[in-house]
Amino acid sequence: MQNNVIVSCEHLMRSFTSKDMGINHVLREINLQLNQGDFVVLIGPSGCGKSTLLNIIAGFDKPTGGTVMVRGAPVRGPGPDKAMVFQDYALLPWLNARENVEIGLRLQGVGTRERRCIADEFLRLVGLGHAAERPVYKLSGGMQQRVSIARALALKPTVLLMDEPFGALDAFQRAIMHKELVQIWKTTNASIIFVTHSLEEALFLGNRVVAMTPGAVGLTGEISIDLPRPRDPMSLEFTALKRKLFDMITAHIPDRTETFVE
Amino acid sequence: MGTDSKAVRTPASASRVGPAMGQFLGTLRETSIGLVVPGLFILVWWIAVAAGVFPEAVLPSPLAVGRALVEWAFGARDAGPYSGTLIDGIAASGQRVLVGYSIASILGVLIGVPTGFFPLVGKLLDPLIHLLRPIPVTAWVPLSLIFFGFGFKGAVFLVAFGSFFPIVVNTIEGVRGANRMLVKVGGMLGASKFELLRSFILPASLPAIFVGLRLGIGLAWVLVIVAELMSVKAGIGYTLLDAYSFNRYDVVIAAMIMLGLMGFFSDRIIVGIQRVLLRWHQEVSIHAE
Repeated sequence: MQNNVIVSCEHLMRSFTSKDMGINHVLREINLQLNQGDFVVLIGPSGCGKSTLLNIIAGFDKPTGGTVMVRGAPVRGPGPDKAMVFQDYALLPWLNARENVEIGLRLQGVGTRERRCIADEFLRLVGLGHAAERPVYKLSGGMQQRVSIARALALKPTVLLMDEPFGALDAFQRAIMHKELVQIWKTTNASIIFVTHSLEEALFLGNRVVAMTPGAVGLTGEISIDLPRPRDPMSLEFTALKRKLFDMITAHIPDRTETFVE
Repeated sequence: MGTDSKAVRTPASASRVGPAMGQFLGTLRETSIGLVVPGLFILVWWIAVAAGVFPEAVLPSPLAVGRALVEWAFGARDAGPYSGTLIDGIAASGQRVLVGYSIASILGVLIGVPTGFFPLVGKLLDPLIHLLRPIPVTAWVPLSLIFFGFGFKGAVFLVAFGSFFPIVVNTIEGVRGANRMLVKVGGMLGASKFELLRSFILPASLPAIFVGLRLGIGLAWVLVIVAELMSVKAGIGYTLLDAYSFNRYDVVIAAMIMLGLMGFFSDRIIVGIQRVLLRWHQEVSIHAE
């Protein structure tokens, strides 16, 4: 049972102090557990702390209280076991697609031939087998994000963290990426934490959707989604869940939110 | 049906010239458009002199300047004092710029990178750089004369000192900006401090470093002329001053034109290197527009 736990956050706190605004408690008493193979979506309005939580799990930020563990070991800093897919892709524009996927492997000490093999395998997985030699600046936004996903997966991470990865894509590209991400999740059995503020995205992707609201103590709520995949966002069950999730979040937003975006 | 065959024929007849030829004509057209205003400028200058708005002794005609330039470059039968000395002048000024600017580039990058990357080095060096920077480099002329004398060394010092600042400041800012962008990615991919600097931050800060290098080469030419006007007894700046004191305004203007050309071409060289090294950056900025 214990072996199944990938990420566990206990009594997590994060507050920011600024001169003019005083102390802003972004995260208070957050308890979250991610099991092997989970696809957890964190959703909430701006300022709810979902990105802060993701950054803490990734090791980019430190909590002011509580503990974060990945595979039972406390998080001390960023590393390839906690691979992140960034909203702005964060690729290295002077390298081609394959080199972007390879660079993480090179830093892990993987040999030249092996890392080329692994890079090509993951580029194929995200549908970019044909574009390995293309400089990334010549790729479209959707393709760049695929490279970024391939780069993260090639690290064989314990947990895959995704910070609004499809926010910059148009609705049609986003729909395609959603289907492919679900496919990738199934084939790789990855454990994913995905941050978004889109209800539809959350309900389409996650098997658990966790809601957060600004200024709240603890998480606002969680919905387990058992809808069969591929899910149809136009279906009645989907729409009903969307209503439920929307109400859950809005019921907890104070009328005059004094919190501010991180 | 009839309209279909027409639609096929039209582009065929339009591209009769051929793509390479069409491109050549396009470039030619753009170049000639670029020459219109400078051409008009020279024409107005010429007319102004011909009409006697300024006396020839004060403002020589473009033709006289052209003649002075040719004489200066290749010598002439009625050899004047400047005849055939252009190449020596270019060599003298160019050497000072080359040596001074090279020192500035190497030191600027060598000091700028750690200042931008390591917070402690930044805290130590930032104040000094920002205190020294606002002092106009020309204010350093007296000290430079005392320490380095009236010759090559003094001129090189001024050039190096002056062009150092834009290079170091842009390097620092470039490294800091790249660090902000890439420190997360580098950390996630498991890069050590050294790898983060080598494989992520240095390539990403090259565009900013090149901004500094281009500003620096412009300043280098300004400063070599300052040095030659004030102390050094050779070079194009010196010719300019010398010609002025002998009322040879045709040579003065010819020297100005030469300085413009030298500055232009040295900038082109740096842009050329930048084009080769930073293909990705040009494409990215085009993409962003």
